[in-house]
Amino acid sequence: MNPLCTPGDHLLSRRAFLGGGLGALGGLISPAVAEVMRERDKQVLFVWMDGGMSQLESWDPKPDTEFGGPFRSIKTSVPGVHFCELMPKLAKQMHKLCVVRSMCTKDNAHSSGVDRIQRGDPKNRGVPYPHFGSGVAKLLGPGASGLPPYVWIKPGSGGFRAEDAGFLGPKYGSLAFGDGKPPENLLRHPDISAEQDSARNELRSMLDQRFATKREKRVVEANASVFDMAEKLMARADIFDTSRLPERDRERYGRNDFGQHMLVARQMLEAGVRFVKVTSYGWDTHGDNFNAHATMVPKFDQAFSAMLEDLEASGLLKTTLVICLSEFGRTPRINGHVGRDHWPEAWSIAMAGHGVRHGTIVGETNDKGTWVKSQPYDIGSMFHTWYRALGIDPLRTEFDNAGQPLPIAHDEMIPIKEALA
Amino acid sequence: MNNREPKQFAEIKSEHQISAARFSHDGSVLVTAGYEPVVRRWQFDGKTLAPLPSLEGFHGYSTAIAFHPKLPHLFCADTWGQLRCCEGEKTLWQHGAAHDGWLRQIAVSPDGGRIATCGKDQFVRLWDAATGKKLAEHAAGEDVYALAFSPDGQDLAFGDMRGRLVVMDHDLKKPQRTLDASALYKLDRIQDLGGLRVLLFIDGGKTLLAAGTTPQNGATPQSVPTILHFDFASGALTRTFTHGANKEGFIHDLVQHPDGHLMAVTAGTPGSGMLFLTNPADKEPFHVNTKMANCHSLALHPDGKYFVVTSTNRDSNGNGRSLGKNGEYKTNSSPLHLFEM
Repeated sequence: MNPLCTPGDHLLSRRAFLGGGLGALGGLISPAVAEVMRERDKQVLFVWMDGGMSQLESWDPKPDTEFGGPFRSIKTSVPGVHFCELMPKLAKQMHKLCVVRSMCTKDNAHSSGVDRIQRGDPKNRGVPYPHFGSGVAKLLGPGASGLPPYVWIKPGSGGFRAEDAGFLGPKYGSLAFGDGKPPENLLRHPDISAEQDSARNELRSMLDQRFATKREKRVVEANASVFDMAEKLMARADIFDTSRLPERDRERYGRNDFGQHMLVARQMLEAGVRFVKVTSYGWDTHGDNFNAHATMVPKFDQAFSAMLEDLEASGLLKTTLVICLSEFGRTPRINGHVGRDHWPEAWSIAMAGHGVRHGTIVGETNDKGTWVKSQPYDIGSMFHTWYRALGIDPLRTEFDNAGQPLPIAHDEMIPIKEALA
Repeated sequence: MNNREPKQFAEIKSEHQISAARFSHDGSVLVTAGYEPVVRRWQFDGKTLAPLPSLEGFHGYSTAIAFHPKLPHLFCADTWGQLRCCEGEKTLWQHGAAHDGWLRQIAVSPDGGRIATCGKDQFVRLWDAATGKKLAEHAAGEDVYALAFSPDGQDLAFGDMRGRLVVMDHDLKKPQRTLDASALYKLDRIQDLGGLRVLLFIDGGKTLLAAGTTPQNGATPQSVPTILHFDFASGALTRTFTHGANKEGFIHDLVQHPDGHLMAVTAGTPGSGMLFLTNPADKEPFHVNTKMANCHSLALHPDGKYFVVTSTNRDSNGNGRSLGKNGEYKTNSSPLHLFEM
């Protein structure tokens, strides 16, 4: 049975819904629905393997085939499902995972692919769509913690990335913590007393109000939200500090930047941050692909599996949607530099946690791993699936682009039923 | 030294990608290993290569190949850990799991009595060449990429992913010393780059060469082919030889011609790659051939008159769909270039 409805079915349902008179409300269609969503503390961990992790050296091995590479496959905790031998720890946790092996996307360039994937590659509406993190931040808000709703832990520099938010406005951009560290000067300077600080903030508020009279509302909101974020972060500076954790924890995640960033991400999730993105760079293995994956995948395996274990132990896996992906996979054929190039035609995305069906493989590639053999899925289907997993009906929820209702995910695609719990 | 210029006299097409090639002790047979679970054999008559029946039954990729110095025995291995000794098509002995996974290299002792192997499982193992009996093993603590016996057979050197070069006694009982070849290694974020790829004793064992690349960046390595010269007696690094731009990548194979000069092949960014010949003490090679793209192996004929370089077809890379004339998914291959000195 084809798990997909036809695009026409989807369009009809959306039109019918809009015809019901709710479409003109803008933003979230129903404030009541939004309130329910906010009440549930659903969270997202979004692990981004920048450059393109090889599906053949990870989630979808094709051992002993023409393009299968040098590695063996190993059994997982789900009978009949195998991973590459470089992921022994995750193989033991396959029963918590849902892996879509039939990703078929459009863009084979980093420059455009990263954005297209993270924005869900919707139909061109003439405006930049928000990244998934920004969409979740808008739709679910910061949650009870009040912490910034969309944070990004990455190697290198940090800062605020307003452009992630697209037409939602800068308020929903990502707050990046370079190397998992807090923003510089986060804490109040010791020479400034609490009273002085409070007085300064009062003055700032007053100036902000004057500033607001001559500025666009969303710019003012963004400006104010930065101070709100800073205030919340000042109160929770502890979430950046992994030194207080048991040594064993730091070892379990791996003594490398990805492992330690994942550990910071765990603390962010525990503190209630709505959407945490963790980026690992360096997966664009056009050269020496096998040795590169032999050194990198085990580090990913270690940190990602430790995270799954801990989220399960703390109960957070029940409320946290975990997603691991890249902008594309890597070519089956091996180039002269012993590398694999960019391959959006047949690759894999892994998920776990809230709302997804555990222990499930969705779709399949052919024997050589060259093409998707089953129903192919574009990233739009994944956005539908993720929103649905978070309890947001992507067919009945819209963004408000200054009065223009826009679908939150590609309006000719729908969620992947097999992937949903 | 006799700086003879080699001339290519033939090119043999292959449908597969080759990562290693070696001649038998009498030069009559060339064997190749590569990105397939097969070891291919070729008859060499001084003019061309004619295919012989292949050795099947490997898994993943066939990787390491080495001939006995006096007998027609071939030792070959794969990335799933298999180690096999063959005479022609006949298997003399075999271990299905000599290593746990990728068996990276094989070295044969000068007298042909023992072979040494190393692998991704971080072990170095010593085997009786005649029977395949395991004689000793050493837990190296890192993915071991390369190894070589000293010409007198008394020492075994091996090098790992991090550029650590260890010298042990010939029966693997105790490490004697560790040399610093870390110039061939770099950690870039979570990627271990480079590593010690080739070891070669020259000058009758006075000098040990460690080859690979000088890593600069991860993901898509841009780096310069590099050979480190160690005085074997003292362990001192006496020379660092680099050649080429940073697109040239790794030295994948390195041999010494009976005339004394070194012969190396390189592969880096697709389309780059070269064969160069240099005297060990010279600053620049006396011969460079950049007509072949992405060269991965060099097999020197025992008489020194001939050698074979395996390269990669041009246009071996490309993002996204790259289909052939009939809509088939394109693959790559390794031409075999036959040279005479």
